[in-house]
Amino acid sequence: MREKAISQREIRDLLNELATKLMQDIASWEDVVFIGVRSGGVLVARNIVKLIEERAGKRIPLGTLDIGLYRDDLSKRLFYPEVRRTDIPFSVEGKRVVLIDDVLNTGRSVRAAIDHIVDLGRPRRIYLMVLFDRGGRELPIQPDFVGRQVDIPEEKVLKLEAGKDETTIRDVILSGVKK
Amino acid sequence: MKWAHKDLIGIQELTAGEIGHILDMASSFKEISKRDIKKVPTLRGKTVVLLFYEASTRTRLSFEIAAKRLSADTTALSQAGSSFSKGETIMDAASNVMAMAPDCIVIRYPHAGIPRKMAELLPCSVINAGDGYHEHPTQALLDMYSLKERFGSLKGLNVAIVGDIMHSRVARSNVYGLTRMGARVTLVAPKTLLPPGVETWNARVSTELDPVIPSADAVMMLRVQMERLNERFFPDIREYSTFYGLNRKRVEAMKDGAVIMHPGPMNRGVEITHDAADSARSIILDQVENGVAIRMTLLYLSLGGAANVD
Repeated sequence: MREKAISQREIRDLLNELATKLMQDIASWEDVVFIGVRSGGVLVARNIVKLIEERAGKRIPLGTLDIGLYRDDLSKRLFYPEVRRTDIPFSVEGKRVVLIDDVLNTGRSVRAAIDHIVDLGRPRRIYLMVLFDRGGRELPIQPDFVGRQVDIPEEKVLKLEAGKDETTIRDVILSGVKK
Repeated sequence: MKWAHKDLIGIQELTAGEIGHILDMASSFKEISKRDIKKVPTLRGKTVVLLFYEASTRTRLSFEIAAKRLSADTTALSQAGSSFSKGETIMDAASNVMAMAPDCIVIRYPHAGIPRKMAELLPCSVINAGDGYHEHPTQALLDMYSLKERFGSLKGLNVAIVGDIMHSRVARSNVYGLTRMGARVTLVAPKTLLPPGVETWNARVSTELDPVIPSADAVMMLRVQMERLNERFFPDIREYSTFYGLNRKRVEAMKDGAVIMHPGPMNRGVEITHDAADSARSIILDQVENGVAIRMTLLYLSLGGAANVD
């Protein structure tokens, strides 16, 4: 069972609102870098960076993070996850990092992402931005920027689907079984 | 792709898809070695035992560094200084090591078949780091990775493997792997150093090096095993160098973009001259660098495989 959780128009509005909130909080972009968590977070990050670049008229560095090697459930999984490449083409040392994920739930992925980032250097600050916060935290982690709070049953999965250009968010899908 | 192997004994048992998967994944692991903090927490709490019953520098160091970069604990045992030399059988030694509950045993042994026997006997993962004249799978994988890194794909590449084919597990593993990935292999050696039955291998055979050089994308030189000199496989070192050594003249005859490889340790002046070993075509040190990434990948896959959980 799969259904669309949200319309195209709503996705656009959410992204615009997030970009606006971010621009209010971050006045200067000199030392700001963006990092998206694979794979949904990267999709959100590409869209946010595009909006910020249009409005600020400035190139914003964007990296992608693969947290597979930092997960805390490796010993409990039947198979280790596929490891894809972390690609951060800049130094995070002393930077303000905007860490972006698509859905925030237990907070364990964010914990893994933060551990990964600090292995690459010592940022001055890490902000957390998520498109959806579905609650259910198991760790003391709170986002700085949230697109929308959603209340969905625990067994359901909320997932972004990319368009052919790997940037457009084609759909946000709510499906029945949690993998 | 789900990794369905508890162990890695030989390239022969891997499909093209599985080899491709390892090579793809290895570039993610290679990135870790380029960081300031070259360590990820992935295999925290796992124990990797390195059992080396035969001399090794590169392979042992490479496995040890790979395991440590993944946060596994490693212990290395070699023949000297251990009770291996007191007459204990290998299987007894293995059972004793197993009693200390390692998650993975990396083994090098002078005779073929022992890693497989161990893998059948023991519940932990076993990775073959070279057994007799059988296989040296991680070497072949790092060779394939280095070639793929240079050429983008292995398909259609002409690879010449030159030297003591008969006693080379590196040659065997590479023939299996390279041909499975669509490369063409030519084995070059004097008749005395070609194994019986070589005509059944999936490779061309030449007893002359010069005609093979111009069309090769990669020339992989094998070490002349000096300890075999007394066994009269060839008359003397100088004659071998003249006919089968890679020297400046032969390097100049190589085609544009072609590369020189060597699994190490090199005998400079025997199978390869200084000119050749240090030429711009040499990717010998890339091979060593990539070895760590390949071994990280295999430790990750073997320890996270399905057979490991039940």
